[in-house]
Amino acid sequence: MNQLQPKDLGSEVSIVNTGCCHDCGGRCVLRAHVKEGKIIRLESDNGPKPQIRACLRGRAYRQRLYSPDRLKYPMRRIGERGQGKFERITWDEALDEVSENLKRIRASYGNSAILFLPGAGNQGMLHGPVVPGMLLQQFGGFTRFWGIPSYEGALFASMATYGTIRTGHSRDDLLNSRLILLWGWNPANTIWDPETSLSLARAREKGARLVAVDPRYTDSVATFADQWIPIRPGTDAAMLIAMAYVIITEGLVDQAFIEKYTQGFDHYRDYVLGKEDEEPKTPQWAETITKVPAKVIIDLARAYAGQKPAALIAGWGPARMALGEQYSRSAAVLCALTGNIGLPGGYAAGFMRAYSSRETGHLLKKDPNLQVDKSQGIPSANPVEDGAKPRPDSLYKLSGGTNATSARIHQSQIWDAILRGKAGGYPADLKMAYIVASNCLNQYPNANRGAQALKSLEFIVVHEQFMTPTARFADVLLPVNTFMEREDIAPPWLGSPYYIYLNKAVDSMYESKSDLEICRELAPRLGIPQGFFNLPDGEILRMFTSRRRDITDFDAMKSEGVLKIHLPEPIVAFKDQITDPQKNPFPTLSGKIEIDCDHLREMNHPRIPSIPKYLGHSEHYDVPLAKKYPLQLLTTHSKIRTHSTLERVPWLKELEVQGVWINPADAEPRNIQKGDRIDVFNDRGRIRIPAYVTERIMPGVVNVCQGAWYTPDNEGVDIGGCANTLTRDEPSPGGAFPMNSALVQVELSPPGKEEEK
Amino acid sequence: MAQMGIYFDQTRCTGCFTCVVACKDWYDLDAGPVNFMRVRSIERGTFPDLFAAYLASPCYHCLQPPCIQVCPGQAITKRAIDGLVVVDADRCLGKDECPQKCLKACPWKAPQFDPSPDAKMQKCQLCLERLEEGKQPICVEACPMFALDVGPIDELQKKYGEASEAEGFRTFKQFKPAVIFKPKRFSAL
Repeated sequence: MNQLQPKDLGSEVSIVNTGCCHDCGGRCVLRAHVKEGKIIRLESDNGPKPQIRACLRGRAYRQRLYSPDRLKYPMRRIGERGQGKFERITWDEALDEVSENLKRIRASYGNSAILFLPGAGNQGMLHGPVVPGMLLQQFGGFTRFWGIPSYEGALFASMATYGTIRTGHSRDDLLNSRLILLWGWNPANTIWDPETSLSLARAREKGARLVAVDPRYTDSVATFADQWIPIRPGTDAAMLIAMAYVIITEGLVDQAFIEKYTQGFDHYRDYVLGKEDEEPKTPQWAETITKVPAKVIIDLARAYAGQKPAALIAGWGPARMALGEQYSRSAAVLCALTGNIGLPGGYAAGFMRAYSSRETGHLLKKDPNLQVDKSQGIPSANPVEDGAKPRPDSLYKLSGGTNATSARIHQSQIWDAILRGKAGGYPADLKMAYIVASNCLNQYPNANRGAQALKSLEFIVVHEQFMTPTARFADVLLPVNTFMEREDIAPPWLGSPYYIYLNKAVDSMYESKSDLEICRELAPRLGIPQGFFNLPDGEILRMFTSRRRDITDFDAMKSEGVLKIHLPEPIVAFKDQITDPQKNPFPTLSGKIEIDCDHLREMNHPRIPSIPKYLGHSEHYDVPLAKKYPLQLLTTHSKIRTHSTLERVPWLKELEVQGVWINPADAEPRNIQKGDRIDVFNDRGRIRIPAYVTERIMPGVVNVCQGAWYTPDNEGVDIGGCANTLTRDEPSPGGAFPMNSALVQVELSPPGKEEEK
Repeated sequence: MAQMGIYFDQTRCTGCFTCVVACKDWYDLDAGPVNFMRVRSIERGTFPDLFAAYLASPCYHCLQPPCIQVCPGQAITKRAIDGLVVVDADRCLGKDECPQKCLKACPWKAPQFDPSPDAKMQKCQLCLERLEEGKQPICVEACPMFALDVGPIDELQKKYGEASEAEGFRTFKQFKPAVIFKPKRFSAL
């Protein structure tokens, strides 16, 4: 009988313990079945529970590793930047060219002209941008960015309110909640630690009520939520503030908590009640703004205050808005008003880090460094930024959080900084870009301006695995291997207590090298001692992990491929602060949860007030521009990619079309039907992709998943459907990225183009 | 005979397709129409009263498989030992000679044919080579939500109950599909 069997079952197959380690919320176990130097199939965690099971992205990894589109050898540009025309060169030629340009730029303009753009394409401890950064530092330093699109607004708010980013609980604690609010949070697609979705399902099975607030009916809403509250994008702060209004006016405030652990409640109460601006922030006030019925807001406020312990989990997406800090701050303050902080089943809405093995004790205790005056200069190992003063809008007096140096440029302004330099008020005139593990052209806002900026530089080197939109702009393109072809360690992300040792499964494909190997060969060319760079991967990893107290047996971790740390009880943020506030003050300037933030009050910036407020901005739904561009654009995460990684994987590509989510109420007047090719556009650009007409998005809002590859045609229309062709490149004062704050219009594509589909 | 069966917890399925990709990787199937495991999406209602569910569809290894009855080459058989419905590629006539009778007979479209003109039928055999080693099928072991289980159907029924209907599942009781569900109930939010 000729029966279906997987290929090559049998004894010659060895199993290598490795994992998947891109920039999603997971770091997952993969067990590679290797035969004659080739991975023939994958398994995931089938060991003891809790298992760290890979999602579809990890399971599809073989098609990324063996993709015919991998970069195979070093190349030099021969066409225009962006055209993608290259010639093959040798590694020696490539590295000579890179080092000569680095030296030339340094001699002509100084180190600050070197722009280093490290990306998140690899999340291992060793490979990716870590070692190139060390190399460039030894070369005299570089200019870099501050601000991470994913979370900068949430992080800023977390620091301002609690003085720390460690605000999360481990996911097993969700089973202690009676009510869970998923606010702009879609872990079914974004993972957010591998056990998150499973924990939400279990919490619901145990009897918790789950309510989702989201403009889209996501897979998380569909699977976990008992109630869906669609909300107009960018108005989350208004709803949260109206919930505070209900809680305050109905006497539901946890007064004892407020008095003992917080400061500034009275100021916030006055704002909420309208004593400050004659505008009481009632549910009716919020209904007009948010499109959420007042009764729904009232009911949710009562439930949240009354059903303790309740977890308000404030996702990062709604903070990825212009002035997104206000949403995150409003959420954090609501947790404080109801006293849901520091207790099992509660949650302190914030940055969400729960588990961290690093020497992070100082993040929770008052740091003695707090007394050090950083106002006159911040020390740095990067000579270019050493001693620079803090940015005026930074929380430089706090310990931890985002580096406050004024020598850095906000990531959303990198393109503008390249084009305008010091004359535009930026700290440096940038002449070359050193890009590692970053598809920055695709993933920073305003891609068309990015293309213009990249064309203006003198030299660009890119370490890459694929011919990404960014790679097409390289002068020298260096092929890098994947984590299947080298050793690394995937450290825990935000909430999960485990490490994955990524054992090398196969040799490097084609002529590709690891980032470490590239630096090893660049070092002597740059006159830098090779010592460190000559160490083998394993030895460096041993060095890197030596200070992590939770790794007690490195060799066992390596051979088993995974180290799961047993927690005696769930992690509950701020438990110590709540139990003994005298001994354990919050790491803020006041030692309390700052509803009214001292640091922000000193800043005195109207766009980032000391208490959270609902604020509009220049591309909000209610501005005059909304007449021309009446739809709000969301740029969310797709389940078939990790940002722009995994874009060319057929097993994933076939599962979901890169389409524009649009409600029938918006599609019908525009004569748009499911599958029609449509244009989404504003003054920054135009994309052309199919319509996904669906009830799963609220009217007035369209969604384009970020990460699809920027592909401008001859007329400049992006037929790849990169969301950032449409997004704004203006940061908020606290650093929040405005990726979900673009106004757009939608129309059927021109008929000629329609036929091509 | 211990009839093997499948359990699917529809309330847990997030529609992530990990089972689909894991299956394609395990059997080294190219992207394209051949999917031993398929996930159907069901959407109902109008904004803002919506309902969505997913249905995992492998082969349900019927007790009375309609595909066996129509196969002209006797290529499909039901194993006595575990009730798995398996196909012998050597006996399958292929698309050239047989108009995919098995596919037409199966209400759940489990039989799969690649686009080549003489393609032979392939389908989910519940990873029988893994079952023989005491392992779970790759889809069960892959599911991040632990929403799938495979085992003797009577044991599954003892563990999970006997619900034989789910959202999007077409019921054909005469074929006795070896599947039980924890169904997701349609209730607009």
